[in-house]
Amino acid sequence: MLGWGGAGTALAGCDMPTTVTLEEGKEEVVSYLMPEEYVIPGIGVWYASTCTQCEAGCGLHGRVREGRVLKLEGSPDSPINHGNTCMMGQAGLQHHYNPDRVTTPMMRKNGTLQAVSWEDAMSALEKRIGSASGVDGKRVGMVTGTVSGHQSVLVSELMDQLGSRNHYVHELVNTSVWRAVCRDMLGDETPKLNFNKANLVMSFGADFMGAWGSPVNNMGEYAKFRKGSERGTLVQIEPKMTMTGANADLWLPANPGSEGALALGIANFIIERGWNSVDVPSRVRNTLKQYNLAAVEKVTGIDEEKIMRMASLLSERAPSLVLAGASVENQENGYDSVAAIMLLNLIMGNVGQTLEPTAKFAEESMRAKQGNTKDLLLLAKALNGKKLDVLFTYNTNPVFTAPDVLQIKSGLANVGFKVAFSMFPDETTLMADLVLPINSAMEDWGTHVAAYQPDGAVMGFQQPLMEPLNKETRGFGDVMLSLLKMRSKDYAKFEDYYSYLQTSLLNMPSSIVASNGSKEETWNGILQSGIIKTKGVTKPLTPKLVDMRYKPSAGNSEYPMHLVPTAKMGMWDGRHANIPWIQEAPDQIAKVVWGSWAELHPKKAAELGVKNGDYIRVTSASGSVEAQVYVHKGIHPDAVAVPVGQGHEDFGRYAKGRGVNPLKILNPLMEKRTGELATYATRVKVTNIHKTAALVKMGSSESQVGRRFVRTVTASAYQRTERES
Amino acid sequence: MKIVTLKQLISMSLFALAVAMLPATSFAELPVPSHITPPVGEHKGEDVPQPIEFPHNRHVKDMKINCMYCHTYARRSKVAGIPPTSKCMGCHKMIATDKPRIKKLTEYWEKGESPRWKKVHDVPDYVHFTHEKHIRKFVFNADFPVEDVQQVCGLCHGELREMTVANKKKPLNMGFCQRCHQANGGPGDCWKCHK
Repeated sequence: MLGWGGAGTALAGCDMPTTVTLEEGKEEVVSYLMPEEYVIPGIGVWYASTCTQCEAGCGLHGRVREGRVLKLEGSPDSPINHGNTCMMGQAGLQHHYNPDRVTTPMMRKNGTLQAVSWEDAMSALEKRIGSASGVDGKRVGMVTGTVSGHQSVLVSELMDQLGSRNHYVHELVNTSVWRAVCRDMLGDETPKLNFNKANLVMSFGADFMGAWGSPVNNMGEYAKFRKGSERGTLVQIEPKMTMTGANADLWLPANPGSEGALALGIANFIIERGWNSVDVPSRVRNTLKQYNLAAVEKVTGIDEEKIMRMASLLSERAPSLVLAGASVENQENGYDSVAAIMLLNLIMGNVGQTLEPTAKFAEESMRAKQGNTKDLLLLAKALNGKKLDVLFTYNTNPVFTAPDVLQIKSGLANVGFKVAFSMFPDETTLMADLVLPINSAMEDWGTHVAAYQPDGAVMGFQQPLMEPLNKETRGFGDVMLSLLKMRSKDYAKFEDYYSYLQTSLLNMPSSIVASNGSKEETWNGILQSGIIKTKGVTKPLTPKLVDMRYKPSAGNSEYPMHLVPTAKMGMWDGRHANIPWIQEAPDQIAKVVWGSWAELHPKKAAELGVKNGDYIRVTSASGSVEAQVYVHKGIHPDAVAVPVGQGHEDFGRYAKGRGVNPLKILNPLMEKRTGELATYATRVKVTNIHKTAALVKMGSSESQVGRRFVRTVTASAYQRTERES
Repeated sequence: MKIVTLKQLISMSLFALAVAMLPATSFAELPVPSHITPPVGEHKGEDVPQPIEFPHNRHVKDMKINCMYCHTYARRSKVAGIPPTSKCMGCHKMIATDKPRIKKLTEYWEKGESPRWKKVHDVPDYVHFTHEKHIRKFVFNADFPVEDVQQVCGLCHGELREMTVANKKKPLNMGFCQRCHQANGGPGDCWKCHK
C-alpha cells in the first residue's frame, strides 16, 4: 500500500516520497485551555466510574488522554468485579463513540422524525405532562431497563408527581424466577453464591459465566473454586451448551422442562440413601417417592446411572452449590423446577455455607428495580387495552425483545405521545413521537446500586470520562430533573443533575454512609474511587421448604422440538448488536461472527439431511425464522438453539438487517407462578429449506484431520501409564 | 534567438549549482551538539497559516525562552504538546497586550477556547515516536546543558528561532530516523517504533 515493497534497497525505500504522505496543516491540534497539573498530553489519566453495559454494576477505570476516553478496565476497588471486566464492559467505548448515536432531539412531524431544538422538545413535553397540561397521570407510563440509585429515585418521583403507577421494568436477561424462589425458600432474593467454599457446583441451566446474574463476579469466584486445594467439580445440566457448560466436568442435556424432575429424582435418591445432612419432613419425602430412578429417567432422558452419580457427587463433595438459570427458570414450570433444584441446597446443608445472606442497600428507594419479562406482558396488555396516553422509554427495547404475538409494535400506535430517552435509533426509539438524545455512560453522571452485592452494600458512582461528543445530547438525570421541574417547585433548587447528586450524596444520613472528613474530602473520595461503601442491611437466611408442585412440561406432536433462544455474554439481549467488537467476537461455542445460526444435534441434522451452513426454517405456532445450521453435539437432540441479539430491523449500521430474532416467534406462554414470559417453552418444528451458504465462523474445520494437534488418551490408559510412572 | 554554447551552458550550470549550494539563509547555523551525529535529510515544508501567527523567533531568539518552557511535556511524554492557553496568558495578561496577535489570543481566552492550531509535524499512527526518550538520551543523560536544548530540538524541527509559525524542515520519515538511529546507537528493532 505504501509502495515500498519493491522500491530498491530498504534504506532508499524509507526515503521514498510515498512514505512522506502526512499532510502539513490539515489536522488540527488544540491545546488544553487550562489543564489540571497532573494532565500531560500523551499520558493517560485514569478516572473511576461504573459500567452500565449490563445490570451487574461493575466498577470501572477509564483511561483518558487528550480529553478522550480510550480504554476501560475493571476497578480493583470494586467488590463486584475486583478489577476485571467482561467483553461487554470493554466494548462500552463503542457505544460511546458509535457513529449511529442520536445527536439531536427529534419530533414526529407528518409521520417522520425530524430534528428539533431542545426548547421545542421541552415545550412539547410541557404541553403533554406539565402541571398545566391537565394530563391524566394514570394514563402515563414509563418503561425502563433495570434502574437503581438516583436515576431510579427520579423515575419514581416523576411517576409519583404524575400520580402514575405504570413503571414497567423490562429486562430479557434476568434471574426473576431464581430470585422469587430464593425469596420464598431462603428469605433473601439475592443470596451470596460462595463458589469458593463449594467442592461441587451443580448448575441447572445457569450460565453464570455468561448471561446469568453478575457474570464477572461469578467468574472470579469460579476461578477460586477451580484453584482451591481440591479442584471443584462443575456439573452442568442444560439443553444447549453455554460457555459455563463448556467448562463443566460433566455436561448433561436433560429433556427441556424436565430439570425439576431430575432434581427431585436426585433428592429422592439422596434421602433414600440417608445422605442428606438436613432432615426432610415426611410430607416432602412422600411427594418425592414418585421420583424413583426409573420414572425420572423416563421423564428426563438422563439414565439411572448418571442420576445416581450426581446424587453421590452431591454427597461426597459437600458442601456444594446448586444453581438454576435461564433454561429452567423460563419454562412454564420454571418456579417449581427451581424450587425442586433449591431443595437440593436445603437438604445438603448448603444454606449458611455456600449460600449466605447479602447486604442490601439501606435506602430502599435506591435499590435496584430489577427488570423482568412480567412487566413486558403487562406493558403489552396496557398498550393493547389503550390504557396509556403518554409513554416514556429508557434503556430498554421492548419492540425488539417482545414476541410478535404480544403486538407491542401495533400497541404502541395506541399511545398518543411516546417519548424515547435514547442514544441510538433502535426499534423502540424509532416508534417514538419525541426522541431525546441522551449522553453516553461515559458522558453522564449517575449512581448504581447493583442487585447482587456479593461483599457489602456498595453504590457505584458514575462520572463522565470526557465531555459529551455531541453538543445536543443531555444527561438522563438532567432531563428527568427538567421534567420534574414542570410538575413541582421542589426541584428548582437543583441547577442540574450534578448538583442534585452532590447534594444528595453529601447529605446521606450517617445510618447509610459513615462520614469521614469534610464534605470536600468526601466528594473527592467519591470521585476518586467511584465506589461508595455503605452500611448495608443484612438479615440471616431463613430456609423454608415450599410445596413441591412440579409437573413436567407436556409434549407437542405438531411442534416436536424445543426452541432455545440463548442469550449470551456479549450480545446479551441484543443491546450490543450495534457494537462492531461484539459482532466480531466469535460465539463462545459456535464461533460464528456477524450473524445468526441455528444449533442442531448431529442426529437431528442427519435426520433433516442438513450440514453446517445449510438453511433451516424454525417454525412455531407464532411464526418462523430461517437460519444457517451449526451442527454441534452440545445440544439436546430435540432442541434447536437460535441465539438472541441479532435480527434488528433498525439500530444503526452494524446491527440492522443482520441475522434473525428468535424472540419474534415465541409463543405467549407464561411461567405459571411468577407471571414471567416463559421464553424457553416455545415448541417448534424445523424444516430443511434446501438452501446453503458458507457459515461465517472462526475456524473452518473442527476436525484435526489426523494431525493430532490435541492428543487425547483414555482414562484407563492414563491410569496405566502416567499415574504409575 | 541567441545560441548558447556548450561552454556557456556549463558555466551557467556551475553558477546555478554554486547558488544552490549557498546556505538558504544568511544567519549563522545552529551549532550541532558534539555528542550527536545529526540526522541527514531536508524537507521543504509548506507554509501553514495558523489562527494566530505565533512568532517563534520573538520567543526563542529575542526573549531567549527555552523550548521546554512552553513545550513542557516534551521531557515527560511522547508528545511535546502545544502549551495550554493558560500558559500563554500567564505572560500575556501583562505583556504586549496592545499587539493585535495578543488581542486575538485574549479573545480566545475570554471565550474559554484554545486556538485551533494546525498540525505541522506529525508521524503516522503506526509510528511510535517519543519525545521523552530522545530528550532523556540527548540532553539529560548526556549532561547536555538544558539551556541549549534548542540545538537538540532543531535537529528534527529546524531552526525555530528564525521562523514565525513552524515550518517542516526535516522529512521525519523512516530513512531520516533510521540514519540517525544507526549513527547514534539508537535501537534498530522494527517493533521499537512500530507497535
